[in-house]
Amino acid sequence: MTSLAFIRRGLTHYRGSYLGVLAGAALGAMVLLGALFAGDSVKATLRTLAEQRIGWVESVLVGGENFVTRDLADRLDAAPVLQLQAQVNAGQASAGQVDLLGIDHRFWSLGPGKPATTAPEGDAFKINSTLARQLDVGTGDSLVVRLRKPSLLSSDAPLSGDTEELITLRGTVSDILADDQMGRFSLRSSQLPTPLLCLPIDRLAEAIEHPGKANLILSAKPIDPEKLRASMTLADYGLHFEPIPLADAVELRIDNIFLPTAIETKARQVFPDARPVLTYLANTIAANGRETPYSMVAGIDASPILPTDLEDGEIVLNSWEAEDLATKPGDDVTLTYYVLGRNNRLDEESATFTVRSIIPLEGLAADRKWMPDFPGIAEAESNADWSPGLPLDLTRIREKDETYWDDHKGTPKAFITHRAAADLWRNRWGSATGLRMARLDSSRIDPLLDILKPTDAGLAIRDVRSQAASSADSPTDFAGLFLGMSFFLILAAVGLTAMLFRFNVDQRNHESGLLAALGIPAKRILRWRLTEGFVVVALGSIIGLLLAVAYTRGLLAFLGTIWSTDGGGLFRFHMSPASTIGGLAGFMMLVMLTIRFVTRRQARRGAGIRLESGTEEVIRSRKTKAPWVAAISLLVGAGALVASKAMGPQGGFFLAGSAFLVAGLAAFVWRLRRRQFLPEEAIDPSGLAAINTTRRPTRSLVVTASLAAGVFLVVSVAAFQKHGGDEWKNKSSGAGGFAFWIETTSPVHRGSGKEGLELQADPPADLLPFRIGTGDDASCFNLNAVSRPRLLATDVSLLEGRFTIRSTMFYQEISWSNLTLPLSEREIPAFIDETTLRWVLKRNLGDRITYLDDFGNEVRIVIAGTLADSVFQGSFVVDEQVFLKHFPESGGYRLFLGETTGLINSDRQKYQQAFTDLGASVTTTSERLAAFHSVENTYISIFHVLGGLGVVLGAAGLGLLTARNLAERRDEFALLRTLGIPGRIRRAIILSESLRYILWGLGTGLLSAIISILPNLPETNRTLTFAWVATLALVIAVNAIFWAWLGYRHLAQS
Amino acid sequence: MITATHLTKSYETPGETVEVLRDLSLELTDGATAAIVGPSGCGKTTLLNLLGALDRPTSGSIRIDDLDIAQLSEADAAAFRNHRLGFVFQQHHLLPQLNVLENVLVPRLSGDWDEPAAATQERATELLVKVGLQDRLHHLPWQLSGGEKLRTAVARALINQPKLILADEPTGSLDPASTDQVADLLLELNRDQGVTLLVVTHNHVLAERMSQTLELRQGKLWSA
Repeated sequence: MTSLAFIRRGLTHYRGSYLGVLAGAALGAMVLLGALFAGDSVKATLRTLAEQRIGWVESVLVGGENFVTRDLADRLDAAPVLQLQAQVNAGQASAGQVDLLGIDHRFWSLGPGKPATTAPEGDAFKINSTLARQLDVGTGDSLVVRLRKPSLLSSDAPLSGDTEELITLRGTVSDILADDQMGRFSLRSSQLPTPLLCLPIDRLAEAIEHPGKANLILSAKPIDPEKLRASMTLADYGLHFEPIPLADAVELRIDNIFLPTAIETKARQVFPDARPVLTYLANTIAANGRETPYSMVAGIDASPILPTDLEDGEIVLNSWEAEDLATKPGDDVTLTYYVLGRNNRLDEESATFTVRSIIPLEGLAADRKWMPDFPGIAEAESNADWSPGLPLDLTRIREKDETYWDDHKGTPKAFITHRAAADLWRNRWGSATGLRMARLDSSRIDPLLDILKPTDAGLAIRDVRSQAASSADSPTDFAGLFLGMSFFLILAAVGLTAMLFRFNVDQRNHESGLLAALGIPAKRILRWRLTEGFVVVALGSIIGLLLAVAYTRGLLAFLGTIWSTDGGGLFRFHMSPASTIGGLAGFMMLVMLTIRFVTRRQARRGAGIRLESGTEEVIRSRKTKAPWVAAISLLVGAGALVASKAMGPQGGFFLAGSAFLVAGLAAFVWRLRRRQFLPEEAIDPSGLAAINTTRRPTRSLVVTASLAAGVFLVVSVAAFQKHGGDEWKNKSSGAGGFAFWIETTSPVHRGSGKEGLELQADPPADLLPFRIGTGDDASCFNLNAVSRPRLLATDVSLLEGRFTIRSTMFYQEISWSNLTLPLSEREIPAFIDETTLRWVLKRNLGDRITYLDDFGNEVRIVIAGTLADSVFQGSFVVDEQVFLKHFPESGGYRLFLGETTGLINSDRQKYQQAFTDLGASVTTTSERLAAFHSVENTYISIFHVLGGLGVVLGAAGLGLLTARNLAERRDEFALLRTLGIPGRIRRAIILSESLRYILWGLGTGLLSAIISILPNLPETNRTLTFAWVATLALVIAVNAIFWAWLGYRHLAQS
Repeated sequence: MITATHLTKSYETPGETVEVLRDLSLELTDGATAAIVGPSGCGKTTLLNLLGALDRPTSGSIRIDDLDIAQLSEADAAAFRNHRLGFVFQQHHLLPQLNVLENVLVPRLSGDWDEPAAATQERATELLVKVGLQDRLHHLPWQLSGGEKLRTAVARALINQPKLILADEPTGSLDPASTDQVADLLLELNRDQGVTLLVVTHNHVLAERMSQTLELRQGKLWSA
């Protein structure tokens, strides 16, 4: 007989009793490993998706609204792409915000999987499965693509041309791209696939009238900034030298019309004799009660046609204009013109000049080249054909104006100094439409290219590989989340496992006593017991590991329903060796430590006592630390409640709740001990039950603690369930009193409110427009880590009195207008939803996040305040004017918050009509808030399921305890029966015992939960929450009584 | 030689302290046989537990040969029981998962026996033959009668070749014929191997067969 043989015999002989231990360990391991595997799977899936999203692309050159030549891609050995957004229709089905990619064969080589056989040709479209699903189309089906023609000049700018020009492309689906065939290509950090349509780059470039251009370059190698700079030509910056034959000069111009300040400054360094020109459209030139409509005015310096000493307040008119206005030198002339105001509105302003001289309309003064190629004007045949993107009253145009246009096109009718022109018409894109120089010194072009930087033209290199890698680290640690949510279930399983093991040890008390009496050292006996336990726990854990695979797959399928658009199947199962080995080892260690803990007292007991006591738990001292523990815990709990403001509601809640829970359980232990040593109970069923609860205090504590902890966790988490309602109507709610959230594929460039916006039809109520800036959606729908949330810029003065600003920094007064005050030159104050701040960004108030602005400079978004539970989850809200200083290229409004007339359904339709051509998605703010809440409520639901299982397990423990107690006291009940004690009395004793555990556990858990959550409960939901809590408590109580009854029935029948 | 001097033993129970043994003294020479009798609850088992190093006295000393067992550490007390004492209990306390032979070998599980396992097993078999269980070596306890269980327990008590056997009501659950058989067996061991025998019993037949009978009354031993 060896120790090993002895252990083996113990295992086989007590296999029935160990079956429960095995099951408990298997359940606990399954839940714990399932949580870890869920974390592994989410991480692995996000990594895979990130890789599919970018393929082999290492870095990209992003142009956005700026275009480069496709030759640049050749020089960089990269793939040129024209990336635009479009609305795609297939019959009645429509999909908005579709990524339209103009590509050539090089794009496919960047896909990680089997390349698509051919690049799309002719009218063929290749679409991804997301778009195919949205439109319910397959290969061979016809699609209609509608997009806004992109302007070279930002459509926000004045004189940017007609922003309404729509392009329609028709074609047939030739392929559905698989995920690994660049079907998931996107530069946005999100697990959600973007609808994608690929077509030949030549076709798209031709359609938008930007032949040979691209606005995105994809490289399978890191793009070296120096190599990029060296590869850039003037054309890639959009620059060219325009010959001005009449002046025997050249003018440096840019496709974007307005020379960016950085380029202008650098060009003037290289060409010091160059003089800036700013030509602009005056709506009216007026003098002497007469006026000329829609005329070009040039701001120039040092031109031979102007007096050398022309002052800033003086104007030179050509002879045609002087005649039209009947003016002479010395007269006052007033110019009226459009400038950009708030909300990108065109405000008409005016300025008055004194006529310095009249020059004949000839020679250089009659040169059409003073006017740059303003879109919508330069190519117009007549004044009536103008579409400059400004509101023109064409009825004002006279016959003579048409004649002037026919004869002289855009030749300026007036000249002022460049400084005066810049003062009037400087905008965020620049203050010159050209730099004129006497002759082009070609040898200076290289030095110019040497000092120009791609960022000067709004081009930026993005290291998408590392960005994708870091974004794949989800801000939500799912392993931690599920461990947290499964915490009680794991605890209950471990507790149950340990209790069942303890039953086994108790059952073998005589055996242990005998072995001790025969001189087997106590430590050796304990080691054998623990070895048996270890074998059972190890076996159970391995079974749990196998079950965890199935359990995790179930969890992932459930999670997929939240975070994927196709109803699941997003996540792929993955288990890492670290989680498997670490999880198994950790769980087994936890169980073994618990087992060791619950058997420690037994191991210390002398052999004589064990032989005497059998399964009774013998406590020979009435001394206990329980009252002290209870008192200290109460103090800690009260302290945590008081300090919960400073600690944050969650921290305060958990600390206070846990402390009250411990206090309640310590009081229970104290009560047991007092009753054990003061057996003054009356001998009636209740008194006898009270005495019986003290007989095995450890068991009593395990069951009561399980119930109390279960009730505490389930009830307290239930209190945080979010309930939707009509709160959105309230201006201080998370919807700010707005009824609709409208996002569009194409932007609206001007206006605000009900009347001011340029829409297809009048909206039913007022609208507040937002620009959507750089950054990614950081809401709870995006599983990827987002380090830079997208920026939403609006006129924040219009938000005053709306939403709830929870906390701010830097400011005395809490107000939206705080955002209009930049903290420093390169800092933009922003408000953010507190949920995003805490759970996604994991940042604090006052933190700064660095972005790259449109000039390639770093600009810091300063977290200046938080918003309570709002529709802005996932974004920074900043002031538009402050934003535009750094992001002038931002083109138009693509997000709108809409008011309602009270008729939600009708208003929704009207908004839909108003935004028809813009590819709008119109949702109500209450739907948006409910969607955010649904994610949180889903977490809570998962917690309830897992926590509820824990409660069931805890209650099952009560059933087992009842059965066990009855089995061990069979003789006792037989005696009572023999003594003629009726069955109802015997049942009353048992029921009374069980009820004591249930009431104490339920009471402790419920009280702890309510005391600690009360300060954090939103007032509005209290009734609903308490009703929910009461229901839960009732269900738990009934469940516990059921299990106790089951334990009784089992024994009674046997 | 067993010498117990001025032994007292008291227990704290809910509400009071119970003094079971009061200034008790006992002397037993090597090879002696003695029976301790007395009413239930008088402390017989307590005394046996003290003499068997299963419990410690509240005061007083117990010397067995040259060893003060009241002063032994838990580990030394265990080693003492394992190598020098034989215990026979009224309930026999056979381990249900082990067969008869294995139950006899249980003391070897302490792991510090120098004797080769095969030799111990051979002696266990001899002991079982001697107590008449040669046909029951591989039976499990539930397959044995009360007398057979007791005889297995006796064989287990002898496996470590003890100088002292402490028996607590060994015949409590046996009929008179079986009681005689057990008495014969124990006295034969005493005679053949010089084992000192101390039996706690209510059974006067068994008590009378011991060389001396002591009565435990009011916490002290009196000659009966």
